[in-house]
Amino acid sequence: MVFGTLSYPANPNRKPQRGKFGHAACHGRAQIRKLDRIGSSGDAVLPVPGRAFLLPTRLLFMNSEPEAPANHDDNRRTFLKQSSLLTALALVPGPVVSAAAAKLDERVAEAFEQVPVSLKVNGKKYKLNVEPRTTLLDLLRENLHLTGTKKGCDYGQCGACTVHVEGQRVNSCLSFAVMHDGKEITTIEGLSKGDDLHPMQEAFVKHDGFQCGYCTPGQIMSAVACVREGHAGSEAEIREYMSGNICRCGAYTNIVAAIQEVKNGGQKV
Amino acid sequence: MNQFQYARPSKPQAAIRAVAKDANAQFIAGGTNLVDLMKRGVMTPQKLVDINRLPLNKIERQNNGLRLGALALNSAVADDKLVRERQPLLVQALNAGASAQLRNMATVGGNMLQRTRCPYFYDTTMPCNKRAPGTGCGALEGINRMHAIFGFSDKCIAVHPSDMSVALVALDATVLVSGPQGDRRIPFADFHRLPGDTPQKDTNLERGELITAVDIPDAPFTRHVSYYKVRERASYAFALVSAAAALELDGNTIKAARLALGGVAHKPWRLTAAEQVLVGKPATEATFRQAAEVAMQGAKAFKYNEYKLKLAPNTLVQALKTATAA
Amino acid sequence: MKPLQKQIGTGMNRVDGRLKVTGAATYAAEYELPGLVYAVLVGSTIAKGRLASLDTKAAERAPGVLAVVSHLNAPKAPGAKPAGKDPSQPQTVGNPLAVFTDDKIRFNDQPIAVVVADTLERARFAAGLVKAQYAQEAHQTNLEANRPQAFLPTQAKKNPKSPVADYQRGQVDAYKTGALKLEAEYVIPTEVHHPMELQAITAHWEAPDRLTLYDKTQGTMATRRDFAKQWGLPEENVKVVATFVGGAFGNALHSWPHESAAIIAAKVVNRPVKLMLTREQMFTMVGYRPHTWQKIGMSATADGKITAITHEATGQTSTYEEFTESTLGQTRMMYQAPNLTTRYRLVALDIGSPIWMRGPGEATGAFALESAMDEMAHLLNLDPLEFRLRNYTDQDPERNRPWSTKFLKECYQAGADRIGWSKRQLKPGMLRDGDWLVGYGMGVGTFGAHRGASKANAQLLPNGTVLLQSAVTDIGPGTGTAMTQIAADTLGLDPAKIRFEWGNSSFASAPTQGGSAIVNSVGPAVQEACLALKAKLRELAAAGNGAFAAARPEDVAFADGHLTLNGNPAARATYADLVKQAGGTAVAVDSKPGPDGQKYSMYSFSVHFAEVRVHPLTGEVRVSKLVSCADAGTIINEKTAGNQMKGGAVGGIGMALMEHAMIDDRFGRYVTKDLADYHVPVHADAPAVEVFFVNQPDPHVNALGTKGIGEIATIGVAPAIANAVFNATGKRVRELPITPDKLI
Repeated sequence: MVFGTLSYPANPNRKPQRGKFGHAACHGRAQIRKLDRIGSSGDAVLPVPGRAFLLPTRLLFMNSEPEAPANHDDNRRTFLKQSSLLTALALVPGPVVSAAAAKLDERVAEAFEQVPVSLKVNGKKYKLNVEPRTTLLDLLRENLHLTGTKKGCDYGQCGACTVHVEGQRVNSCLSFAVMHDGKEITTIEGLSKGDDLHPMQEAFVKHDGFQCGYCTPGQIMSAVACVREGHAGSEAEIREYMSGNICRCGAYTNIVAAIQEVKNGGQKV
Repeated sequence: MNQFQYARPSKPQAAIRAVAKDANAQFIAGGTNLVDLMKRGVMTPQKLVDINRLPLNKIERQNNGLRLGALALNSAVADDKLVRERQPLLVQALNAGASAQLRNMATVGGNMLQRTRCPYFYDTTMPCNKRAPGTGCGALEGINRMHAIFGFSDKCIAVHPSDMSVALVALDATVLVSGPQGDRRIPFADFHRLPGDTPQKDTNLERGELITAVDIPDAPFTRHVSYYKVRERASYAFALVSAAAALELDGNTIKAARLALGGVAHKPWRLTAAEQVLVGKPATEATFRQAAEVAMQGAKAFKYNEYKLKLAPNTLVQALKTATAA
Repeated sequence: MKPLQKQIGTGMNRVDGRLKVTGAATYAAEYELPGLVYAVLVGSTIAKGRLASLDTKAAERAPGVLAVVSHLNAPKAPGAKPAGKDPSQPQTVGNPLAVFTDDKIRFNDQPIAVVVADTLERARFAAGLVKAQYAQEAHQTNLEANRPQAFLPTQAKKNPKSPVADYQRGQVDAYKTGALKLEAEYVIPTEVHHPMELQAITAHWEAPDRLTLYDKTQGTMATRRDFAKQWGLPEENVKVVATFVGGAFGNALHSWPHESAAIIAAKVVNRPVKLMLTREQMFTMVGYRPHTWQKIGMSATADGKITAITHEATGQTSTYEEFTESTLGQTRMMYQAPNLTTRYRLVALDIGSPIWMRGPGEATGAFALESAMDEMAHLLNLDPLEFRLRNYTDQDPERNRPWSTKFLKECYQAGADRIGWSKRQLKPGMLRDGDWLVGYGMGVGTFGAHRGASKANAQLLPNGTVLLQSAVTDIGPGTGTAMTQIAADTLGLDPAKIRFEWGNSSFASAPTQGGSAIVNSVGPAVQEACLALKAKLRELAAAGNGAFAAARPEDVAFADGHLTLNGNPAARATYADLVKQAGGTAVAVDSKPGPDGQKYSMYSFSVHFAEVRVHPLTGEVRVSKLVSCADAGTIINEKTAGNQMKGGAVGGIGMALMEHAMIDDRFGRYVTKDLADYHVPVHADAPAVEVFFVNQPDPHVNALGTKGIGEIATIGVAPAIANAVFNATGKRVRELPITPDKLI
């Protein structure tokens, strides 16, 4: 099963290009494979000017075998050396390859510069191929469509993107997804158990710990961690340890009240 | 952001080799500053060597001191029982920095290596000798409210933003480094450098050298300490000025002192001369004022940071008062 | 049966609370559409001049890039005109800046191209490959240096009765001849709204002449109007969805260039395009509270009666729009002053246009006025609260009309009690708490109780529930919740049986969320729609039941989903049954303000009391306590209204102590580029804010008695803090923000 832009047509408005690869390059987004389907023979559509052809996925991702642990040492690049790619391309009709010409290989190499990543997000396992430059935040929002985690600044200066990695609160905007290979991630979508809200979510509703709601998932993820860390001992301590989560609506008084209620309520957080 | 290669070696030597041989390669640890700089095009490594899984995150007793693994998280250090008992000044400094989330990502080594927060460094359309040598210093004649009053050059007036490093320089720490040429130890005070003619170099690390640990010797400064940070809001902001003060008191007499300032120079600014002023004197505001006067010798301000000439000594005095009362 | 609880006045939980705490609330950049691609803007790196050349080749060739659009190749939107073409017709606020229509650069970071690619990473990378060369012209970005060029706004030149025209009563500048007088200048820097949600839009041409926008906007109708006009489309062909808006505080009050750019990009690639600004771009292209210089002259008698005030203000605008705001309004009506002069001027700079920011104008003006009141009280050796009471106005001195309602004295009393005003010392610098100096200050705020025309649609569904729809947005105040409460009480229904849908231009037309006017405007529309539904129910009941047919309308009662008849316990009909028989029933109402606006002056009022601690060595200021009191008419929801007041107070803390956008005039470029450089308050800056509402209805604004909260929550907070700092230290800071350097 393949999500993402793989099956989208190349831009119909665009004229066929001078022997270049299609602009809607085939592996733009991370390819999301459910673990149980890895190794099946899903085909990737590789759009090229004027025509599309199919290339077996496994040729492109030879080292993303499901059982093999991801190996991120230098050999990844070796695998993606242009020679390999051109070998792969040798399977496609000759004119396409020759049209690719000298400048093509570099660009193709770039397009294929993806690395395999395994993540467990909210209890669900994902085996993905991502560009190393994809941040955990963008992966969650744009690829996994877990948009509860918010982008408020993209520089670690607001806390809207707070998630838990291995139970610790972090800013998901400031790390690359690939750095979390093999890790367990919890987002706001994974906090409640079915229809039952987490006590912190309940407390935020009761105390009106938000207005516009945009910083709220980050506040709640941070608040849960704050209590678990033992940093919710007093109003002053909560304020200090929640200062990494900005609420421009200014619902701070109510957020602190919500956290205190959970902390003092004795429920398991 | 440019595309880059990613490698995650499992051994320090492999990581060192990977960076040593490639001028466009860069270590990445917590990423809290590097990712930010890459997003803005300020740093454009072609290859990132992820060192997060190297076994360098221990916090332990070592040779009459504490050894902090370079990859120990800022939060882990701040919450560590040993550190809390023996180096409360470091704990205060760590907790004064960034936010709880960032401290869960940032490492000891990464904290030391964070780049300046000078806005001219961050904006690739503006002149900055640190980012693009030879383009000039935008801050020199610009908005230099956050800038240095000590140790600057006409090439660069930026300041180092770390809080942790201010405590470590005061505590006589030593940086342990492994490199292609082997291991070496760098006194913390010599780790960061002044800008001089090469502000692009923040530290005295050589290419491929990896910080493996920081050693802090045991010292009698476990109680009368204060890291006092003045910023424009109550938390989660870089310092206008910060001061680290650690005192050994015998009654009301100062037996030994360690002092440093943050937010005033291209490196954490140790104040050895001012420390000497304190030794043997009573811990009074008058004594602290004398030390602060000595500390400020040689300070010079620019158009927008003149306030630091007053704020820095005042903050130092306040840190000393707080340390004494602790 | 237990009667249904009245909802109005309670602290009902938000109707969308669950969505917000679970991450299920969907904001503008979070709609999953097939074929969605990403757009990233390229901004100019000069403040003024022309684009000499634009090299997009490398960007076009970059992996995943679908298009690079600029003035060189952008499709022409039929209604888009370059801004400021005709200097005799300066545009007033409300016109989006058209993008990519010419090669002119009007401000730094002005969008000069948009790059569209299949992933965000690739679009960002390719945007960095676009290279521009400029023919640069000298720019002006400094307000102070350009004050000699200040001018009277065009609307004031055309209309001497304009609120921004020069105003006087009594003698001009009479304070100059007063025996006891003060004269002082006050400055606020540029402040930026910075809602947590970055401005974002997802633009989708569903057909060549049908456009759907998922947009961060405060007004779905206004945005629809703007882009229908820009593209020459019938309004019904444009749909604007803004169900959730991640804060705005004014910066989504009108359309902006990035929205035009996303729409153009979507047109070019013929796929849905998502565009989210960066935090840097939030400084440059979606407005800000303008840097403003003010001067107040005031004279008073020895027994504390103000004899004259002159209040001048010069604000910043752009070269292509004349942005004005009501900086001087509060001065004209707040205190008795027989002689009063106001003058408002603008300076046009090579910076993007400002836009109203929470407490617009009034918050700026109140900083000067309320600081000056404190200064005069100090001069008179009078308690500042007593000084305000001696100059209290029982009718509007500007229009010589009665107030619709005014309970400001009640607010003064409540606030003084709660803050512990009696602890305040007349002489500054007298109170200490350990190392810290302690001080108390107050500041008053006011804002017009505006009401606009609004429609509402309501349907009774066969299951006995009610569906209400309005195009209005809810940017955080809890509009959806308040409307549900109003409908529940009007219809006699459990709020769980009411569904109020908002944030979609396809729904009934409503004003743009802003100016504290939404409950005032949409509230009565909802109320009237529900009354109309009740009339329908009565008709249905009368048609089907003898007892109801014979009844007088006033004898029919509505409660808990039933109609009953006074004096006839047997007569009973459920809403559900009646509607089922009728096969559904729907009403549409058009609610307009009544005539009382011509007879009365209608305002909300607030007073804020601050207790601050100031460190004498380091100049740090901590607001240790804030009490905000409001005369805002009927409070529909004490929980969400209280939250609004607390949030406005936090905004005021930011304004007072830290917010300050700075430009390096050599480059005409901001050096504060993100939330690490531009500080907004964090948890640690915010004390527990205490809120008091008079909660007395104003019968003249609307039948609900509401007056509006959002603006008065902020207006007056900054001077309360500045005055408290003076009381603590004896230092009067007249230029915001009050950072440590100004106090040591």
